[in-house]
Amino acid sequence: MIGNALRISRLAIVAAVDRFAIWIVLLALLALATTLSDAFLRPAYLGNVVRQLAPVGTAAVGATFVMILGGIDLSVGAVISLAVVICAVQMDGQIANIPWALCVTLLTGAGIGLVNGLLAAFSRASPFILTLGTSLAVYGLTQIYSGGTARGIVAPQFREFFNYRIGGVMPVLGLMFLIMGVIAVLMLRLTRLGRSMYLIGSNPRAARISGLPIRAVTLVGYVLSGVLAALGGIALLARSGVSSTFAGRGLEFDVLAAIVLGGTTFEGGTGGVGGTIAGMLVLFVAFNMVNMAGLNYNSQLLIKGVIIIVSSAGYAYLKRRG
Amino acid sequence: MRWRIGRLIDARRYSIVVVLVFAVLASGAAVPDFLTRENVTNVITQSTALGILAIGQTFVILSGRIDLTVGQLLGLIVVLTCDVAAGRSDWFVAALLIAFGVGAGAGTVTGLLNNWLRIHPLILTFGLLSVLQGIIFLYTDRSVGQAPAQFVWLANGKLGGIPVAALALLLTTAVAHFVLTRTVIGRHVYAVGGNEENARRGGISADSVKLFAFMTSGLSAGLAAVFVAGRLGTGFPLAGNGYELDAIVAVVLGGTSLAGGTGSVIGTVAAALLLGIVSNALNLLQISAFVQIVIKGLIVIGAIVINQPSEEWR
Repeated sequence: MIGNALRISRLAIVAAVDRFAIWIVLLALLALATTLSDAFLRPAYLGNVVRQLAPVGTAAVGATFVMILGGIDLSVGAVISLAVVICAVQMDGQIANIPWALCVTLLTGAGIGLVNGLLAAFSRASPFILTLGTSLAVYGLTQIYSGGTARGIVAPQFREFFNYRIGGVMPVLGLMFLIMGVIAVLMLRLTRLGRSMYLIGSNPRAARISGLPIRAVTLVGYVLSGVLAALGGIALLARSGVSSTFAGRGLEFDVLAAIVLGGTTFEGGTGGVGGTIAGMLVLFVAFNMVNMAGLNYNSQLLIKGVIIIVSSAGYAYLKRRG
Repeated sequence: MRWRIGRLIDARRYSIVVVLVFAVLASGAAVPDFLTRENVTNVITQSTALGILAIGQTFVILSGRIDLTVGQLLGLIVVLTCDVAAGRSDWFVAALLIAFGVGAGAGTVTGLLNNWLRIHPLILTFGLLSVLQGIIFLYTDRSVGQAPAQFVWLANGKLGGIPVAALALLLTTAVAHFVLTRTVIGRHVYAVGGNEENARRGGISADSVKLFAFMTSGLSAGLAAVFVAGRLGTGFPLAGNGYELDAIVAVVLGGTSLAGGTGSVIGTVAAALLLGIVSNALNLLQISAFVQIVIKGLIVIGAIVINQPSEEWR
């Protein structure tokens, strides 16, 4: 009995460490950061962090759904690029065009997500290569649509709105990202759809036997990933104010690194959006700390790689020990 | 019965070769100037670097891993060899040693990190990709040096009327195919990729096998860099951008499973040539580069959906 109880409590601790490892890492990192500079605790800095994170973070929230399902979405970088261009071109510098531009952009993201979802749900081929293929196609479409140059103009009000700091602290952009995160967490925890995603990811066969609509849920996962990647593109456009055909290039792997760091695995069925956001914060704060040394862009690339590897290795080590 | 099943599996494995033959015939019929001696030489010399790079990637993917570092590694080696040689042909051997040394060395580091850190190879090699990119740009942000004349000859020259690059690709393919199918370490690569646990129980050191696969991949990046440097003539820091994804696409189109354990380098090289032929034919038809990218994406999707209906990769 006692042995059993001990074993159960040990299991509970293991599960807790497993679940919160990334938050522990984040807190430790923040503690270290504050000893280096008190700027890290200023509200304005934190507001700035979420503003910086919003574009890639929003896309990462969407891609987490696909990872939980046991799939992978490598097209998010390409969708971000296309969204930036489409939104800017449709807006054409006019405030009246903003609602239309946003709708078209989000619908485009949903469309690409739908294509990915159909391919993943009906072909059983590796989603890694399928979404690599759609990413190539979308990248080509972006070039065709834009003619290869940065086209489109952002309405000044669009930028002003998204970058307005509520209470002088929290930018609308950051708030939007946080709200998306909260909705996603609630959806995964509380709704049938969210729970089915976990079941399908952890055991597709059991999910099929118990009559879950696997294909429909897979479709929803990829569509959400597409829509949120497009929203990430809109956020990127709002933050930078400049249309560019390469804006999202390669971001799919940054997204992937944050998701995996946050405890969602390539096998699917585990993890969640909270972890993904924590993973993003860890990478970002670590990067910021190093940046305070005033390194140039080239060293930053090197440091970014080291941070991704070291933090993933540290996290994997914690999980094994736990 | 057994014989028949064996035949069927073989047909499936090399279906990309059939597609390649069709593509050559179709392009020859539909595209004027495609089957000229000059153009065929062009296609092959353009596909050599990707083919060699993808051969190395095949080893890694067969062993159940993936290597995103090879593009930037290739770029780094192009920059280093051109800068060191600075166009002097008596520095050819030194440049060649640098190419192989840096390639194999970087592959060894990747392999060791893969074995020690136990993080997913996509994450590990993406991190290393970023590190390599940083190193390249810290070294130089503009084109440096000049490739030695021998590199240029290897990439563009001819030997008895046959492009040297074609011979090199053929030789590399033959050696790689021999290693994978006729040597102990090669069979172990398949065993570890097919079922690592079983392989380990059978007394195979899975870590050594994966280290070998990553070293081979690094080495192939070194060899491919020689041909890229020879074609460019100078150390261009962006020379390797995007090569890693093209290599993975070639491996998978060639019938190698991303889950590891099944596939061949012959399929990989056929797929690399196929990609080269398609792009060449579209060029001759004067189709815009942008449309070409879309077509390439559609080919990837179409080929995977048709050719690998039952693969699961996680």
